[in-house]
Amino acid sequence: MVIRIAAVGDVHLDEDVVGRFRPALEELPGRADVLLLAGDLTRHGTEAEARCVAQEFGGLGVPVIAVLGNHDHQCDQVPQVVGALTEAGITVLEGDGVVLDCADGRLGVAGVKGFGGGFAGRCASDFGEPEMKAFVRTTTESADRLSAALQSLDCDVLVALTHYSPVPDTLAGEPLEIYPFLGCYQLGQAIDSAPTALALHGHAHHGSERGVTPGGVRVRNVAHPVIKQAYSIFYLGDHLDQAEVSSVGTGGIQQSWS
Amino acid sequence: MTVHDPGAGPPDEYVEAEIHRLLTEDPAVAEQGITVVRTERGLVLYGEVESANRRNEILRRVAGRFPDVPITSDIGVTRTQAPTEIEQLP
Repeated sequence: MVIRIAAVGDVHLDEDVVGRFRPALEELPGRADVLLLAGDLTRHGTEAEARCVAQEFGGLGVPVIAVLGNHDHQCDQVPQVVGALTEAGITVLEGDGVVLDCADGRLGVAGVKGFGGGFAGRCASDFGEPEMKAFVRTTTESADRLSAALQSLDCDVLVALTHYSPVPDTLAGEPLEIYPFLGCYQLGQAIDSAPTALALHGHAHHGSERGVTPGGVRVRNVAHPVIKQAYSIFYLGDHLDQAEVSSVGTGGIQQSWS
Repeated sequence: MTVHDPGAGPPDEYVEAEIHRLLTEDPAVAEQGITVVRTERGLVLYGEVESANRRNEILRRVAGRFPDVPITSDIGVTRTQAPTEIEQLP
């Protein structure tokens, strides 16, 4: 069994970008079973920009599944953005999941935007001012929804899709000071609460590609400025070319906290 | 590389911070992935954007807001070719 997953995040579509991705996207039907979009699909989160996303990523001949990012919330038009994407056949996840029948098996994708908060030992706490508590509770509730969605899916291969990062590994290259705005350990904890095979995220434009959760789940940062191509392709399964298989040990640059 | 140098003195940390916020909060830019670095010769903007128009607009906006600060832009446009390799994960 091999499930072929294409993924990219942070494409920040507007009229000036429409058409740039399309030639590469037209190749997808022969190369991947699904395309996953890891948030920040637009610049400001307007309905007009979402229609640009629909034009660029709709009608590809493969299922397209997305989560939104922080940019997609900027203009407070989330229902309109989701509506425009859904009209184009793009599935938008937020605390829920979907199972796809692929040629070789059933792929489950659970998705949530996620939020910041930081990582173990260097994270925000649910304490103090109302604003601080609201911040951390947003993080916790988002991670809880991801955990429940992952655990609810009956499938052969399980993938977690977020915008914010679940691990610090894939943030290597970003300033340490902004890690709490780029991801949180609670998302990693959610991913480790289920038999997740792969976690994909975006958001960290200056981060690095590869990481692993404390529970051993591979994490890939597919932000467009990181992968520097229209999308990346991952093969998941048990009939892979062993000479080309990536081992768990090939994580991103290990960040020293000291 | 595009250089805007009106021959003014060195920028300070507040200018750096203000430019960084402008890049995100100005609706005409809305970029969080641009790094502002202070050097002896002025400020250098690094990063990648999705179109040449956006790269030009960043320099225009920053130069317009801070006409006395020497600005160097080294911002690229992210490539969009199809991948030539896959990653296999057991």
